[in-house]
Amino acid sequence: MAEPFVFFECTPVERMTGRHAKDVVDFLEILKQISSASIFHHMHQYFLKTHVAPPEYPNDFTCWIADCLEEKILAERLANLNPFEFANIEDVRVELIRIITNYLKENRPPRTVREGKEFFFNEGITIVIPTGLVATNLAEFKAALDEVDPSCIYYHFYEARLRLGRKVDDFSCFFSDCFEGECTELAERIRRLDPYMYTAETLKNKLVSLVVSAMEGK
Amino acid sequence: MGLDDYKGISEAGELRAIEYMADKLRGRSFLHVNSTATGGGVAELMQRIIPLIRELGIDAKWKVIKGNKQFFEVTKRIHNSLQGQVGPLTDKMWDTYEKVNKKNGDKMDLDADCVFIHDPQPAMLIEQKKRGIWVWRCHIDISTPDKVMWYLLKDQVKKYDAAIFSVASFAQSLPMPQYMIPPSIDPFSDKNIDLSEAEIDEVFERFKIPRDKPILLQVSRFDPFKDPIGVIESFKMVKKYYDCTLVLAGGTADDDPEGERILADVMEAADGVEDLHILSLPPFSDKEINALQRGATIVIQKSTREGFGLVVAEALWKNKPVIAGDVGGIPLQVIDGVTGHLVHSVEGCAVRIRQLLQDPIKARNMGIMGREHIRRNYLITGHIRKYLALWLSMENPGQDVINL
Repeated sequence: MAEPFVFFECTPVERMTGRHAKDVVDFLEILKQISSASIFHHMHQYFLKTHVAPPEYPNDFTCWIADCLEEKILAERLANLNPFEFANIEDVRVELIRIITNYLKENRPPRTVREGKEFFFNEGITIVIPTGLVATNLAEFKAALDEVDPSCIYYHFYEARLRLGRKVDDFSCFFSDCFEGECTELAERIRRLDPYMYTAETLKNKLVSLVVSAMEGK
Repeated sequence: MGLDDYKGISEAGELRAIEYMADKLRGRSFLHVNSTATGGGVAELMQRIIPLIRELGIDAKWKVIKGNKQFFEVTKRIHNSLQGQVGPLTDKMWDTYEKVNKKNGDKMDLDADCVFIHDPQPAMLIEQKKRGIWVWRCHIDISTPDKVMWYLLKDQVKKYDAAIFSVASFAQSLPMPQYMIPPSIDPFSDKNIDLSEAEIDEVFERFKIPRDKPILLQVSRFDPFKDPIGVIESFKMVKKYYDCTLVLAGGTADDDPEGERILADVMEAADGVEDLHILSLPPFSDKEINALQRGATIVIQKSTREGFGLVVAEALWKNKPVIAGDVGGIPLQVIDGVTGHLVHSVEGCAVRIRQLLQDPIKARNMGIMGREHIRRNYLITGHIRKYLALWLSMENPGQDVINL
């Protein structure tokens, strides 16, 4: 019998670096030097937080550039960068730098934000906590998904990609290997999801619906 | 009051995380020290948070330093300087600050596994650290401090193992780790607990405020940074189009001569303005503030400078849309166009009030979203979760992912 799926949740701790940018040039300079943990935090915390109204773009850098600097073209280019296409965060850094540098070559000197609206670079620490929930079949899996916090989805779906250094999530890995190959179709459906277009909450609902479909043999 | 009472209010995952982390810290000692047992946001928070942490099996204690009038005059000066007012300390003042801290440290049992020292008043207790993790928990806005004051105080602050600030922009250049933890509200405190319509009516009747027209409310000290005169100006603009009432509710402290002066200015600005009520509330008016917030149609917080601005969370928790200045911690709470509006001028404040008075359905929906936003992010349970997570992360240095 395959190993059961063990559900974890996580609690974030936000550490401040004390570094902040007031315009794009500042921002680029800090981006080159800041820790990869900071880049990871700002590219992913959107997926960890629960939102009553999700921000316009799914990462902190883009939101700041769109809302505070009002550099809409640059914001759209950065928003189009899907961090989940990269196997590690250093490659994300290189791509961010490339996009911003090209933008600066093409455009007028950037504006400066007003006081208090600077971009503050933080880092995240993740405390991983077992929920006590496990699943040995699809019914238990669905019941656990109904129970868990969105941080569970973040941990297994988003953070897993970087933690394991592969471009796949824990859920689809589990369904690929378990139940004597009966859930490979479900694994494939989960793997085909575009993670960048969901929040942890909307993704949780989507996963529940995919698991229910699999249970009904659809 | 225990964690179980928050079931159905806080997220199940949040309560699960607290219980699991608390279990890892069971029997450990967690000491908090501040400078006042009553009055002020920190004391209010300690009164609620310490019993809850104790109930989780952690030996949490709260101690208050003692000082004479001279000491508190010095610490008030430090407090004001850190918030940007110029006011150097004389050698004699530094001496008072050091001596009173030392005297308190000599008498106080500071032996604990984790020690949180709140704000600058007891900051020099770090000199008497013997063991444990020591964290300086700064609740005030020190984003633009008096440079000399901060330079001198920093020598003490950097002896701590870590610092906590409420808003990212309050962070400073410090050698030790700095963390961001916002403050919180407790749904069961006198200021936030549900009230019946009869209780709300009683408070409005006592203050002789008719509830026959929409009520705009700002609750804040009479302080120029809260711009009460700007609120009156906005109200006068709104009054041309909408029949409504404005309530400015605040207090002044006996030892705050500036507050008295601002209140006099506010009274002068209010002269001849109809349907305007100015309430100078005494300390311990939590139930009255609760009722005023619940009876309001729109809550205003037109600050031009702000710490976290927890009064905004209180109003949002009561399903009220909030129109507020885009400063300090306010934009974390007021999501523009979702839970209220962020404004930058007297005119902007007036226009947003008119928009919401004209569209009560939108105003009501914003209030509903506001309560949910606060429930998810700024309740006392989230605060405890963050404190415990921080403690555990500091016991596992150098790790970005900590598996418990």
